[in-house]
Amino acid sequence: MKRKNRKSQRKGPNSISKLSLFQKNDSKFSKKCPLSLKNSPLIDYKNIDLLKKYISENGKIVSSKITSVSFGKQKQLTREIKKAKILGLL
Amino acid sequence: MAFYENTIVAKQDLAEKDLEELRDKYNQIINSSSGRVVKIEEWGLLKLANRIKKYNKGFYIHYKFEGSKKTLNEIEKKLRIEKSIIRHLTVRYKKLDTKNEYFKKDKQ
Repeated sequence: MKRKNRKSQRKGPNSISKLSLFQKNDSKFSKKCPLSLKNSPLIDYKNIDLLKKYISENGKIVSSKITSVSFGKQKQLTREIKKAKILGLL
Repeated sequence: MAFYENTIVAKQDLAEKDLEELRDKYNQIINSSSGRVVKIEEWGLLKLANRIKKYNKGFYIHYKFEGSKKTLNEIEKKLRIEKSIIRHLTVRYKKLDTKNEYFKKDKQ
């Protein structure tokens, strides 16, 4: 128990300064878009396995904040998901 | 002339003969109205994600064709009246990719 307390005390001030409420932690949230890489798969309403990754259990489209998809690709995704829903594939 | 894709969801309780007739019928309609069918894919009997018109499964027939506005109008006319179809969708493409078949594994 004593050891743990010491560690927390050592780490304490550093981690607090990084995770202050008024400064955004940039390193944590910057992530590249998985669909605009070089060998990324085509977004198409027939490619159901890909579309299923961007849909929640209730059939809602997951927001790009969570999946870190770029703005243009997110628009494409929503269009293709809606097409697939018309055909009853999703 | 532009490229299009058309997908038809047919009812589950159709006989094989009717399915073939349905497939050939729309193949003829496209070819006869100044269009050209590039490829026909049959995805087979697939489960619908949710119930549509009291059906749980459907036969999927997929056309890739080249055509004009005339062919589209002709298809839309016929599809609206068709009774053995649950849903349909036509999409315009700049280029058709005939290589990728996403539903081939399900067929085997």
